[in-house]
Amino acid sequence: MTGYNPELAYGYQPPETHLQEFPRQSKYDVAVIGAGPNGLIAAAYLARTGLKVCVVERRYEIGGGLATEEILFPSHYSNPHAIYHMMLDYMPPMQDLGLDKHGLTFVSPNAQTGAVFDDGSSLLLCRMIEDTKDSIAKFSEKDSETFGRVWRKWRQVVDELVAPATYLPPVAPIDLIEAMEQTEIGKELLELSEQSPIEIITDLFENEKVRSLLLYAACMWGLDAEESGLGFMVPLLIDRTMNKGICYGGSHRLAAALAREVIQHGGTVLDTSEVVNIRVEGGVAKGIDLEDGRSIDAGIVMSSLDPHTTFLDLVGRENLSPSLTSSVERWEWEKWSFFTTHIVTDDRPRYGTDDPWADDAFMTVIGLDTVDGLLEYWDGVIEGRIDGRIVGHATCETIYDPTLSKVPGHEVGFLQIHAPYDLEGGWDQRTKEIESLVVDTWKGAAPNLNVIQRHSETPVGIETRLPHMRRGSIKHGAYNPLQMGAMRPNDECSSSRTPIDGLYVCGASTYPGGLIIGGPGYIAANIVAEDAGVDKWWTLPDYIQKYHDTYFAEDTSVA
Amino acid sequence: MDSRYDVVIVGGGHNGMTIAAYLAKSGLSVCVLESRLEIGGAQENIEPMPGVRIDPHASVLYAAAAPGFEQLELHKYGFRMEYWNQYGMAIDTEHRALVSGNRWTYAEAAESIRVFSEKDAEMWPLQQAAIAPHTEDILRATFWTPPFPHDLDVDNADLPWVQAWTKAMGDLLPGNFFEASMVDVLDDIYESGTLKALAGLGAWYSGAAPTWEGMAPQAFGGTLLAAYGSGSPKGGMHTYAHAIARAAIAHGARVLVNCPVEEIIVENGRAAGVILADEAAAAGKTIWADKAVISAVDVQQTFLKMVGPRHTDPSFRQNISDISLKGGSLYVLHIVTRELPKWGGQAGEVVDRFGYPGSALFPIDDWADVTRQMRETYSRKRTPTGAGNMPLAVLMPTVYDRTRAPEGMHVLSPIYINLPPPEYHVEGPHAVNEQVDRITREILDIIREYAPNMTDDNIVATFVNTPEDSEFRNAGLVGGNWYATRHCTDQWWTKRPLPELSRYRTPIDKLYLCHQTSFPGGLCLMAVPYNLMHILIDDGLVEPGSWWYPSPYHMKDTEKTGAAR
Repeated sequence: MTGYNPELAYGYQPPETHLQEFPRQSKYDVAVIGAGPNGLIAAAYLARTGLKVCVVERRYEIGGGLATEEILFPSHYSNPHAIYHMMLDYMPPMQDLGLDKHGLTFVSPNAQTGAVFDDGSSLLLCRMIEDTKDSIAKFSEKDSETFGRVWRKWRQVVDELVAPATYLPPVAPIDLIEAMEQTEIGKELLELSEQSPIEIITDLFENEKVRSLLLYAACMWGLDAEESGLGFMVPLLIDRTMNKGICYGGSHRLAAALAREVIQHGGTVLDTSEVVNIRVEGGVAKGIDLEDGRSIDAGIVMSSLDPHTTFLDLVGRENLSPSLTSSVERWEWEKWSFFTTHIVTDDRPRYGTDDPWADDAFMTVIGLDTVDGLLEYWDGVIEGRIDGRIVGHATCETIYDPTLSKVPGHEVGFLQIHAPYDLEGGWDQRTKEIESLVVDTWKGAAPNLNVIQRHSETPVGIETRLPHMRRGSIKHGAYNPLQMGAMRPNDECSSSRTPIDGLYVCGASTYPGGLIIGGPGYIAANIVAEDAGVDKWWTLPDYIQKYHDTYFAEDTSVA
Repeated sequence: MDSRYDVVIVGGGHNGMTIAAYLAKSGLSVCVLESRLEIGGAQENIEPMPGVRIDPHASVLYAAAAPGFEQLELHKYGFRMEYWNQYGMAIDTEHRALVSGNRWTYAEAAESIRVFSEKDAEMWPLQQAAIAPHTEDILRATFWTPPFPHDLDVDNADLPWVQAWTKAMGDLLPGNFFEASMVDVLDDIYESGTLKALAGLGAWYSGAAPTWEGMAPQAFGGTLLAAYGSGSPKGGMHTYAHAIARAAIAHGARVLVNCPVEEIIVENGRAAGVILADEAAAAGKTIWADKAVISAVDVQQTFLKMVGPRHTDPSFRQNISDISLKGGSLYVLHIVTRELPKWGGQAGEVVDRFGYPGSALFPIDDWADVTRQMRETYSRKRTPTGAGNMPLAVLMPTVYDRTRAPEGMHVLSPIYINLPPPEYHVEGPHAVNEQVDRITREILDIIREYAPNMTDDNIVATFVNTPEDSEFRNAGLVGGNWYATRHCTDQWWTKRPLPELSRYRTPIDKLYLCHQTSFPGGLCLMAVPYNLMHILIDDGLVEPGSWWYPSPYHMKDTEKTGAAR
């Protein structure tokens, strides 16, 4: 009998080789760590300035959360992470980089977010406001009318304030308040901020079903339902749940289009390359070292990873000030993660509710009844429990993107629930049980589902696939008032500059945050271009320029 | 989106992407249209569970002798290797094993052969040493040379591979080498059935069955390709595809995926562009080609679907549909384990002494039985759908590349067994798919016999792609045949895929072929596009820079004499 002897295997170096490989030492102007959406966006902007850019990715495939994988092997493709693209109409890279020339296209159906209830009723939030109002009117004429009225204001909050602010460096809270007080809509934003999501929603709406779906939409991405301070995000998240798009051919297509831009402008994309060290000498970033012994010199290093990895693991405590060390150590991961069951079926889900159109919804929330019921589930998750009734959202991807299934007649979809990283009883033991619960819940709502194949991804699996989503934190860290705005990831680094000269941060843990909004990467590209003294070939989109001129005209540093 | 290019390439698999890189680097505007969600074709890796990367098709680097590496400068686009200290191991039914070493370590590995045959143990390093300095020339003469014009009368001694092998081996070359099957040659040169099986099965899983007549040089060439690569691209075959694609993109190629081509537009007998299927991601469904359309999908799809009967005559279409795919349909199993196999018996001692191999072939019974199994796989007398009918080929990439699985896990991927193509099953093409559970169980039972630690507790997950699945996923792998068209004497060199198509030109002006159904077939060699480049240059379509060098054996149409080099 024999064991496996790594001495005889790893690191085997042939005495000679015909094949030239990527150099052991190389030199770039910019090294970007992590080829997720933000790393790629930053790299794509900077490559086109003429800077020599190298994007380095640990995984074998670029994209980070922009993943499309054949997890229902063989012949069915799923999006294990990002699927709902919520800022397509605002993200500057979409226009600046002209990504459609790479065959990138998004489908944004009118039937956006539905809910199906136990009593056979359904509610549908649509891209078109009158359709949304018509559906709400089934439950409450008053809520329908309120929604229309509130929505006009909220649209304005999103369009004139929150969306443009997403793509400008953060502003200190005191300056932000001062700026917002200049206009009526700004005051509206400030008022919202002081309320919790649940206060905003229950004050406005009377019907429990309407309330629970709106609360789900507002808080599904991690906003605390009962916490005040981030209320301005409620209009954003509700508006965005009515304006999502699916990336045709899978979310990975967006990453691939961005990578093509990087490469076509002289940049390098290096996958299967884990970074083990950010070299810092005398407080200045000098480059990065890779797991296979290769090293890359670069005067500008941009990290799109989580703060722990960037600062504690790669930069090293010896290069950090006590204040930065302690703010990184205080960083909070998300209160929950996701458990997702992907399935292959021979028919799309048919919910058979009072409104057949609900079957077409891009996202369908299942398991909702009352606000309290929803909070009870979420509270359980935060405490590590999943038992009894679950609430989650389902999407049948092939309704809008048939190319994800290569087998004729097969449909691909998933049901995703909020789930704790530390599940009572452990994921190893309980994955199959939770999977059955998810599938049974889904089948309860859509009895026609005949599950041909299934595959579940747990919070632990998220971390295994993408280690910088620590503890399954898909946004690299909690959305709470202490970790948002100019505090994300901390007050020293939120503009993307860090106390280490030449080191920038540009991931979901940096202002404004995650969810494929592209803000961190875009802002960092702007800052780096300014610091490097290169010409910006792009200009701010009009809607952002207008916001800047209205609220921050004197401050020249942001544009 | 642009709708007019110099060259439109149908298919973004290995060959399509490589010719795109060659042409873009030569300054042409190029558009690649791939029907799947990702380029690379059979150069695939997928992550069906978190952190675990499997190889559904290609797995090892055969292309080390390809001029493409330096011509396209793949190193600049991230290409890296993981070399395997021990390439392959063959285990017999008594649990005795021999190992092959690699391109640099064959001499020490030869000691493992001594248990089986003193004579072979002496012979093996001698042969390997004789070949070593000539390997690149032999391989380039065999694979990286465009077929001569098919109507040219060539003395056999002037064929490129005959020249190269003769120069390398001289008297060591068996007399029947160029006319025989590999089985015949192996019987002449080796004593040990296990060593013969290692070479013969190695060749079989490298594209040419050792039982095929007149294909000994190509079959041995397959094993030489494997030895010359001696490993896998770091991270898996898809990273090799990435390097090629990034080279193409860096030189300006437009690469559009999720864009199936429905029709190749033929106007006045000339290929003028393509029309995309309705579900294609691109907005413009008609894309024009000013200089050429290159079909990097299989020859049957090209002519029977995309060009269509309006532009071809019935005799040509009959010949196209007769092209035989029989020969390389694989049942592919992937096992995720907690531990690598711990080989029992003397095999364990071999591993301890010589190092853990990247691949294992077993069980090897006597050699006659192995060759009978190979013949029966392709015979029509039964429906072989099971393991146990033939030895397994088990690849173990995590031995040398820890990026393929998370800490505490390994992958055995791919595990191949050769099956008849789906359409030859008496019970219909779906027969294998209906027996996946049974076949997988049988394979696991065999593995356990040789590596007792491979119990259910050790197995985290299994994944399977049957021949039928492979074709579903990847239309170019017709019948799940991973080199698309049998590498047999009737479909090789000037006969691949048909004599009139062997120089990559077609009856349609400005339509060229660049898929593994053309010479020299599969294995992700960058050879089809390299060979095609000669023809495109001769046709005046492309003028590459000083980085280009042709095969020294290339014969222009105008020459047609003096094949000796």
